[in-house]
Amino acid sequence: MPESSTTEQSLTEDQVLPNNHTKKVMKGNIAAAVAAKLCRVSLVTAYPITPQTSIIEEITSMIDRGEFDATSVNMESEHSVFAALKGASLVGERVFTATSGQGLLYAHEVLHAIAHMRLPIVACNVGRPSFPWNIWADQTDSISQRDTGWIQFYCESSQEVLDTIIQSYKLAEKLQLPVMVVLDAFYLSHTSENVYLPDQSLADTFLPPAVRENNRVDTEQPRSFGGLVGPNMYDEYNRLYWEDINKVEKATNTIGREFSEIFGRTYGAVEAVNIHNNTKKILVTMATITTTARQVIDDYPDTGLLKIRLFKPFPKKSILEAMKPAGDGCTIITIDRNFTGDTEGALMQEMKRALFGKSVKISGVYAGLGGRDVSAGTIEKIINLDVNSPLTDEVTWIK
Amino acid sequence: MEPAKEFIIQKESIYSGALSCRGCGWTLLARYVSHVMGPNTVYVVPACCFSIIAGPSPMNLMKGTVVHTLFAAAAATATGVRHALDRQGKKDTWVVVLAGDGGTFDIGLQALSGAAARQENIIYICNNNAAYMNTGVQSSTGTPAGAKTATDPSGKKLPAKNLMGIIEAHHLPYYATASPAFLDDLILKLEKAKNSEGFRFLMIDGPCPPGHKHDPELSIELARLAVECNYFPLFESENGKLKITCLPPKKKPVSDYLKPQGRFIHLFNGTYANGIEEIQKQVDDNWQRLLKMEEITSSL
Repeated sequence: MPESSTTEQSLTEDQVLPNNHTKKVMKGNIAAAVAAKLCRVSLVTAYPITPQTSIIEEITSMIDRGEFDATSVNMESEHSVFAALKGASLVGERVFTATSGQGLLYAHEVLHAIAHMRLPIVACNVGRPSFPWNIWADQTDSISQRDTGWIQFYCESSQEVLDTIIQSYKLAEKLQLPVMVVLDAFYLSHTSENVYLPDQSLADTFLPPAVRENNRVDTEQPRSFGGLVGPNMYDEYNRLYWEDINKVEKATNTIGREFSEIFGRTYGAVEAVNIHNNTKKILVTMATITTTARQVIDDYPDTGLLKIRLFKPFPKKSILEAMKPAGDGCTIITIDRNFTGDTEGALMQEMKRALFGKSVKISGVYAGLGGRDVSAGTIEKIINLDVNSPLTDEVTWIK
Repeated sequence: MEPAKEFIIQKESIYSGALSCRGCGWTLLARYVSHVMGPNTVYVVPACCFSIIAGPSPMNLMKGTVVHTLFAAAAATATGVRHALDRQGKKDTWVVVLAGDGGTFDIGLQALSGAAARQENIIYICNNNAAYMNTGVQSSTGTPAGAKTATDPSGKKLPAKNLMGIIEAHHLPYYATASPAFLDDLILKLEKAKNSEGFRFLMIDGPCPPGHKHDPELSIELARLAVECNYFPLFESENGKLKITCLPPKKKPVSDYLKPQGRFIHLFNGTYANGIEEIQKQVDDNWQRLLKMEEITSSL
């Protein structure tokens, strides 16, 4: 293990370092670990799984070196990893873990419990598929957890991983909901990129210490948590949950703006690129495929890009707002790097839901499953799919 | 009304209105655990009969904190609770798991072994009523040979898992078996567990009239017979040294324990010619093994 997995880099002349930042080169996984430290997480539970493992390795190394004041517990499974977080969060601590693929699937039952006990836990998932064995970029694992009640963000860069984790604790603690921050395996988890590392003081200004008045174990006032509830109370708990889920999109955008005031980088539920009144097509992407698409659309002035950062709950209002300049006539093409056994991918399904009643054409592609490269050429192929016939509600599997 | 002076519990540490069946071992156990542990305790309860007995939300049988958790996750949830309390400097708050045999022998075994191997500073108490009673008496690996259950309608063929052997392999500072029929012994063991550090494990014999099919008023008598027949031996281990804590003065035949219980009644009607003899042999072998263990570990 090297002394530090991050390296400092000198700035080139055209780069301006934001105030109270250091420039580093970091892999996505290291950015995740560093973010947990910046958030002053006090307890991390861990179980190894590729390609997440370097997150927990970096965290335990930082704790071992005395740079990070947290307790780390090596659990015996991901089910236990999340169950221990559930217990610790219920006592009021700010907790963190990271997992991938099978690990996330194994924890499925506990994900439900955490969400419905309203515990503000933040966890990273480095997306990989399940079977046949594959460890490369794929969002099927986290997409298949979309009904557990966790908020989900999909990240494009190491910088976004770091920044999103910081924002996620703010969001989680504001609404008492858990947040999953998703990284693409290897393309993001193990790719070194420039990162502006904020000083601890910035993180502390943005994210106050975790203080929970209610829904917390207090031995001075013994209570029971998570006991059996009858139909009416169960229904009422879910109604309250739904009310707060309805606040997530707006809170994401508000917190993204608050973040920019302190850190100088702005985030929202979605990001629109090149969407204007002459836009004929809009590619809808998540995570690292977005970066490739950004480059490609430079050569396609009538093609826009809509990046979905907040996937769950699906940010319908932000999407409609972002697409407004293009009007109703354009074609939407969703790119799904997940396969949940349906005729169309999850992103396509959600976009249809968001665009219900709008007169837009929407088609989708499956691309990049199991880490299959989605190159610039692949994106061009997707843009040019309708050269011979207009696409409407078609799904294409792109090789 | 003041309790009689000879009652061990002079001031109740649980509320009235437990939702247990008549003659259930769980409520008795909860009374004594709560009596010994006191209010500064967080109880972690996986799915089991006690999930129901402890009361539906927001009610709470215990005069302490109760964290209900998932079936497989008792020891893991308790691990998180423990470390979080430690982070807050609350080292004097006890964390106690109250689990059934299904959540201990079967679905929760992985988490139990993990927490035990990590020497988490928690007390794990298993009320062993030897089947999935909460779901209607299905066999667990804690169900003994011969016992009829809803999923072994002709009687279970194989003996119960030797869970205490698995526990022994984790090098724990303290583990013990105890019985609601031997209250002084039970309380002493609870106190020893309370005053030790690290992972402590207690297995309590759990009478269950609807599951074992006997009259509720026989619960304590049967629990006593289980010890007197060496069917449920009482022992403890402190830092690796095993000690039998109750040597029955006159060993009774195992049929004395089996016969009053409906779950074993088929053993006595001729269709299971060698059933009782086989169980007697298992019990005798286990007892011999226990005596040897006591001898071997005495010099440790």
